[in-house]
Amino acid sequence: MTEPVIRVTHLSKRFAGAGDTVTVLSELSFSLPDGGSLALTGRSGSGKSTLLNLLCGLETPDQGEVQAFGETFPAAGGRSPKAASERWARLRRRDIGVVFQDANLMPALSLGDNVRFRARLAGQTQASSAHWLAQLGIGELADRYPDQVSGGQRQRAALAMVFAMKPGLILADEPTGSLDHHTADAVADSLFSLQQSTGCGLILATHDPALAARCQYRLDLGHDQPVLTASSAAPSPS
Amino acid sequence: MTLFVALFSHYRRHPLQLLALALMIVLATTLWTGVSNLTERARASLAQSERAVAGQQQLVRVDGQAVSVRDFAVLRRQGLCVMPWLEVRRPAPAGRVIGVDPFAGGCFGDQVPGQAGGDALIGEPFLDIGDAAALVDQDNPGTLSLLVPVTVLPAELPPGYELKDFSLGPATGELGESFLLNLDALGVLVLLITALLVRSVYQMGRVQRRESFALLARFGVPPGRVQRLLLMEMVVLAALCVLPGIWLGRWLAAVLGGGFGQALEGLFDTPLYAVEGGGFALPAVVMVTMVLVACFTDQRLWAKLPGVSAAGPSLWLAMLFLGVVMVGVTPGLTWLFTGIALVFVAVGVLTPRLLSASAQWWSDRAGGLVLWQRRELAVLFRRLALPVVALQFAVAMVLAVQALVTTFEDTFEAWLAQRLEAEFYVEVPDAARAADGVRYLASRTELGDWHLVQRGTARLSAAAGSGAPVEVDLFAIAPIGPLVTGWTLQTSVADAWSKLAAGEGVMVNEQLARREGLKPGDSLGLTVGGQAREFAILGVYADYGRPAGEILAAGQRLPQAFRPQFESLSMNPGDVTMTEIEQGLTEVWNAGKLTVRDNRSIQALASGVFDQTFLLTRAITVLTLVLAGTSLLMMGWVFFSSRAWYYRLLSV
Ligand SMILES: Nc1ncnc2c1ncn2[C@@H]1O[C@H](COP(=O)(O)OP(=O)(O)OP(=O)(O)O)[C@@H](O)[C@H]1O
Ligand SMILES: [Mg+2]
Repeated sequence: MTEPVIRVTHLSKRFAGAGDTVTVLSELSFSLPDGGSLALTGRSGSGKSTLLNLLCGLETPDQGEVQAFGETFPAAGGRSPKAASERWARLRRRDIGVVFQDANLMPALSLGDNVRFRARLAGQTQASSAHWLAQLGIGELADRYPDQVSGGQRQRAALAMVFAMKPGLILADEPTGSLDHHTADAVADSLFSLQQSTGCGLILATHDPALAARCQYRLDLGHDQPVLTASSAAPSPS
Repeated sequence: MTLFVALFSHYRRHPLQLLALALMIVLATTLWTGVSNLTERARASLAQSERAVAGQQQLVRVDGQAVSVRDFAVLRRQGLCVMPWLEVRRPAPAGRVIGVDPFAGGCFGDQVPGQAGGDALIGEPFLDIGDAAALVDQDNPGTLSLLVPVTVLPAELPPGYELKDFSLGPATGELGESFLLNLDALGVLVLLITALLVRSVYQMGRVQRRESFALLARFGVPPGRVQRLLLMEMVVLAALCVLPGIWLGRWLAAVLGGGFGQALEGLFDTPLYAVEGGGFALPAVVMVTMVLVACFTDQRLWAKLPGVSAAGPSLWLAMLFLGVVMVGVTPGLTWLFTGIALVFVAVGVLTPRLLSASAQWWSDRAGGLVLWQRRELAVLFRRLALPVVALQFAVAMVLAVQALVTTFEDTFEAWLAQRLEAEFYVEVPDAARAADGVRYLASRTELGDWHLVQRGTARLSAAAGSGAPVEVDLFAIAPIGPLVTGWTLQTSVADAWSKLAAGEGVMVNEQLARREGLKPGDSLGLTVGGQAREFAILGVYADYGRPAGEILAAGQRLPQAFRPQFESLSMNPGDVTMTEIEQGLTEVWNAGKLTVRDNRSIQALASGVFDQTFLLTRAITVLTLVLAGTSLLMMGWVFFSSRAWYYRLLSV
C-alpha cells in the first residue's frame, strides 16, 4: 500500500453567516494514496470547493487536521499559524497544483507566459509551455492573453499550467464545468492520461457523473456522513 | 518568466498607465525641485545680503574728503587691516561691478565683506580692483570705500580717520524671513499635492492588479515577497524619473529665476548666487521617499490610528473649524501656515467621505436602472476621491498663494514707500552742519518736498517694568510735511500730524506700542539728551516688522541737547536737477563726495523682485493646478473606459 499523499482526520468547517453559523463539513475523515484519483460530488453548496481549499491551506479547518506530503497541519487555534501558512504556501508553489472555478491566469501574461511563469514558481525552469499547451489542445493560443480566449480555453490553459509544474497532487474545481460535451471529453481524456503518465494524485470537484466515474474514488459530500468509496466504473486500486 | 517580470508585465499590457505614473513622478520632481531650488537661492542671497549689511565698517577721513588709493597705501603701511572696495555704477544693462583686492581681504579671515560662500569674491559682480578702476570714467562713476574688520576699535586708528557703518543695502531681516517662509510653504504644498496625484495614479493601476496579487497568493507566493518586488519596481521607476525631473526643475528655476535674481541683486545690492545645485542627492532622496510613501502607505494604517476612526467626522469638523479660526485671527505667519495646514488635512479627510456619503444618499433614492447607474457613479466618486482632493488642494494653493502674494506685496510696497518716501536721500557728512543744508534747501523754492531726518537715541524714563532703562531710536523730522504725513497710522488721536508738527507730542512705532502697552493719548516719559520730559503719544505707525522701538518727533521741538548720531536729507527734487542740488550742498557744506541714494530706482528694482518672484510662484501653482486637473480627467477617463462594457450592456 502506497503512502497516502493526503490524509484528513475529523475535519470540520463552519462559516459564520448572517446571524447563524453554517456547518459545511463535519467530522470528515479520508485518505488518498499517492497517485490516486478522487472525485468530490454533491449538490451545489455541499462544500466541494471548501474542501479543496482546506486541502491546499487556503482555508483553515475549525477542527481536525490535514496531513499532506508528510506534513501535518493543525486546525485553527493551533500553534504557530504563520509557520503553517508558510508551509502551505511552499506546498502550493511546488507540490500542489490547483485549478480554481474562476480566475487561474495572470491577466497581463500570455497563455504561454502563464505556463512558463507557473512552472518556474514550482522550480521547473526547463518547462516547455508549447508542449503543455499542445497536450491540452490549445498549442496555437500561446501568444494570446487570457481576455482574448474563451472560458473553456482558459480552463485548459489553467490545466496546462498545473501540469507544467510537475506537482505531486492536482486539485481541480469543475475542470470541465464550462465546456461542451465534446470538448469536456477531450479535456478529461488529456487530464487523466497526463495524470496517469505523471503519476500525480488528483482530486476534482464535479457535477458530471461521467467525469466522477473516471476517478478511482468518490466522496459524496451530499451525504450526512460522507465516506470514501471506490468508484464502480474504475478499476479498484491494488 | 520570473516573478518580477510577471508583476511588471502589467505595465507592458497597460503602457499608458506606466507613462502616466512616470510623467507624474517627473512633473512632481520638476515642480518641487523648482521651488526648492529657488528657495535655496533666495535664502543664500538674503543671508548673504544680511551678512553684508550687518556688522561692516569703513574708514573715512575726518576732513570729509573721499578716501583715495593714497589713504589705502598709508593705512596699509601702518599695518592696519584694510580692504579697498571700488564700486563702479554703469548704466543698465551692464550694471554694477565691485572691484576688490582679494589679497588685501586676507586679514579679514571669515569676515570678508560680501561673502556668501567660500569663493564669493570671484566672478560677477566682483572684479580685480585694477580692472574695475579701468572702467571708471565720466559715465561710470566709481566710489572707493576702505573696509576694516568689525573688530577694529576707534582707538586703533591713525589720526585723521574715523569709523563709519558700511552698508551694502537696506536691512531686510524680517521681510526676508517671511518671504522665505512663503517659499517653504509653497514647497511643502507642492510636495503634498503631487504626492496625492502620484498616489491616485498608482492606486488606479494597483486596483487593476489586485486580481493578480490574489492569484499569486493562491500560487503560494508569500505576499511579503510581492510587496518587496512592487517596492523595488517603484524604486527603480522613481529613480529613473526623478533624475530628469530634477534636471527639468533646475531648468525651470533657472528660466523663471533669472529675472528674479537680477531684481533681488538690485534691491539688496548683493548678487544672487546660483546655488550650485546642492547636488542631486537631496532632491532625489526626498522625491523617491515621497513616491514610496505616497504609493505604499496603507489607508487602513491611517484608519487604525487611535482616535481617527473612532472620532469620526466631528474630529475633522472641529479641526477644520480650528484651522479657519486660526487663519482668521492669527498674529503670526507661522500660525497662519499651521492653520492652513489644519484646514487642508481636515478638508482632505472630509471630502472623500462627503463625496461617497452624498453619492450613497443619492443612489439610495432611486430604483431600477437609475439605481444601478447611480451606484456606478458612487463607485466612480469613491475612486476619484484622491485626485479630487488633490485638485481641491491645488485650487486652495492657487488662492492662498494669490492672497499671500497680494498681502505680502502690499506690505512690502507700504514698507518701501515708508522707507523710500522721498525720491532722493542725501547723507549729511559728519563734518558738516545739517542746518546749513536745511537753509540751502529752504532757499530753493522750486524744490519739491523735503525734510531733515536726525536719528539718535532716547531712553524711556518711566518704564513700567522698572528694570534696565529701555533704549529706543529717536527720529527727529523737520519740517513735518507730505513726505511723512503719508505714513500709515494704526491708531491716532485726531489731527495727529498737525499736532506732531506743533510739538504737542510724538508718534511711536507698532513694536514699541505693543511692548510697552502704549496707545494714543498716553503720556510717555523720555530722556532725550540728558533731559527728562513727558510727551503725549499722538499715534502708532506701522513698522512692517522692524524689531527696534522707534519714536518719531518734530525736529524743532526737541531739546537743544539732543545729539543725533546720523543725519540725512530726504527730498523730491521737483523742478531742480539732483546734480544741481548735490553741487549746492557740496558747496554749503564744503564737503567732498556726498552719499546720495536714488530711492526710485531701488523701489523699481524692489517691485521687480516681487513681480518676478510671484510670477514664478504663480507659474508653479498654476502648473500644479493644471496637473491636478489633467490627472482627474485622465482617471475619470480610465475609469469609464474600464467599465465601458457595463454601459454597453445598459444600452442594449
Ligand atoms: N467564505 C465564506 N463565508 C461564508 N460562507 C461560505 C464561504 N465560502 C463558502 N461558504 C458557504 O459554504 C457552503 C459551501 O460552499 P462551497 O463553495 O464549498 O460549495 P460547492 O459545493 O463548491 O458548490 P458549487 O457546486 O456551487 O460550487 C455554501 O453554503 C457557501 O455559501
Ligand atoms: Mg464550488
